[in-house]
Amino acid sequence: MRARRVLDLVPLVLVLAASALAAALAAEPAGRLDPARAWSSPSASSILGCGEAGVDLLPLVASAELRAIALAVAVALLGFSIGTPLGAAAALVRGRLERGVDRACDLVQAFPSFILALAVLSAVRVPSRVHIGAVFALTAWAPFARLALAQTRVLRDAAFVEAAVALGRGRAGVLFGHVVPNLLGVVAVQLGSTAAAIVVSEAALAFVGLGPRDGVSLGGVLDQGVAAMLRAPHVLVVGAVAVFVTSGAMLVAGRAAAQR
Amino acid sequence: MNRSLRLLLGRAVEALLVVVGLASLVFFALRLLPGDPARLVLGDEASAGELARVRATLHLDEPLLAQYGRFLRGLFTLDLGDSFRRPGTAAMERVGAALLPTAELATVAVGLGATLGVGIAVLASGPWLPPGGRRWIDRALIAVAAAPLVAFAPVVTWALAARLRLVPLPGDPDAGAAGLLFAGALLALPLAAHVGRIARASLAEVARAPFLAVAGAKGARPLRVWVVHALPAVVGPIVTTVATQLGALLGGAVVLERMFERWGLGTLILEAYSTRDLPVLEGAVVAAGLLFVVAQALGTATLLVIDPRARSGRA
Repeated sequence: MRARRVLDLVPLVLVLAASALAAALAAEPAGRLDPARAWSSPSASSILGCGEAGVDLLPLVASAELRAIALAVAVALLGFSIGTPLGAAAALVRGRLERGVDRACDLVQAFPSFILALAVLSAVRVPSRVHIGAVFALTAWAPFARLALAQTRVLRDAAFVEAAVALGRGRAGVLFGHVVPNLLGVVAVQLGSTAAAIVVSEAALAFVGLGPRDGVSLGGVLDQGVAAMLRAPHVLVVGAVAVFVTSGAMLVAGRAAAQR
Repeated sequence: MNRSLRLLLGRAVEALLVVVGLASLVFFALRLLPGDPARLVLGDEASAGELARVRATLHLDEPLLAQYGRFLRGLFTLDLGDSFRRPGTAAMERVGAALLPTAELATVAVGLGATLGVGIAVLASGPWLPPGGRRWIDRALIAVAAAPLVAFAPVVTWALAARLRLVPLPGDPDAGAAGLLFAGALLALPLAAHVGRIARASLAEVARAPFLAVAGAKGARPLRVWVVHALPAVVGPIVTTVATQLGALLGGAVVLERMFERWGLGTLILEAYSTRDLPVLEGAVVAAGLLFVVAQALGTATLLVIDPRARSGRA
């Protein structure tokens, strides 16, 4: 079982290692322009080819992947640490709060969060990664809260929880001392799919023109690829494969938490 | 009160709260986050006189609560003022014109996605395929459900429209129905995979139910057993899945509209964003929210009509 768990982490580690290596060994900083080589196909000097205004795709994609992974992990962990206690507390208190949180999770999960992100980001002149992360965090808590709520419904009647209550522990003590530690394994399963969804959403935002100001984003590469679909299809392929691989590696890594 | 009516009323109140909540979020985000909205509109070089004029037009010089009251009133009377970039055109008029193409695209996508997903699930549940084939379908459903639209839609478009020229580019004004169908099919793929997975799991649950055995024993063919007898029993989870995927579908519609330069709510939101046309932006986001809650309510109503268990509260 342990070997399988380690195996699930391999794709993410490979993506991280390859991106870090490519970014560290790059002869030039990500995003340097050289119009003479604009849209040139993959060659020995630039392995993935060049894009708009001659930007070398390899260092660009490598840094974009690293930043996307950092953002996704940060937001997923934030959602995890807000959603888990919230869902557990709602199920412990029962009644109206439980129903309210349950329904709120339903709504937030089904809500067009992409449009919400567009709307909120329009309040800043040029979105930074912190802004983008904050907008994703607005909805990232919901799947964790929903899982924690469902799991706490089972746990709240368990003998050890009743014993803790009988011994006089307060609600917060029961919540953080007894319920939350028993939820972590189940709720952590969601980390991978939430992080994968954030990688994709960040790319989609940058694709429609709301990327971070430095332009280093997988969505930006896809945008270039669509603009030059006929002239330089390699740009589109590089961008699409990068989004696939990064989000897929996140999904697979999430399974490592599932096998207990 | 009748349970169905109470449920629908509850959902309607909730829908109203969601739309007002979303609108308020946009309203306060634009006014309370650091940065002056008038400067966002005009840029850094604007003179004090110009800034004052914009503040007066957008009522930014009034107290926040008065602005909010005016905004809510405008929301309920569908009058958010004139488009800032096209004086003389009401913001809601532009939003209304953009709502139709997006609703069209989303409807085609939901129709195609639900049909395709249910079809695949029935095919994989009935006796037509060997076990190996079913396992492949299940794997393919998981893979497609996890595939990001923003990555595969451009590649598929490049292959089918640019290289093989099998389909027209949906942004092409001459593309017509074929273009709409192609864009709808791209948007429908992830939905079909989600619907397929849920329908497949639900059908597997009823597969051994006695009513299916009775239908078979009375001489019904497998297709009739699965489509006429089994499918209505699993409509609930299918409708719920479509409803939960609607948000993602609307987000996908924005991406596709941008990609194909097809006119719609997404292109309008992006245009209003880049030109900081605040009244249009607020209106368009609220319209997107409205589209979403109306579709959700339709889902609930459909479920109540089709499934008697939902009416009696047993589902």
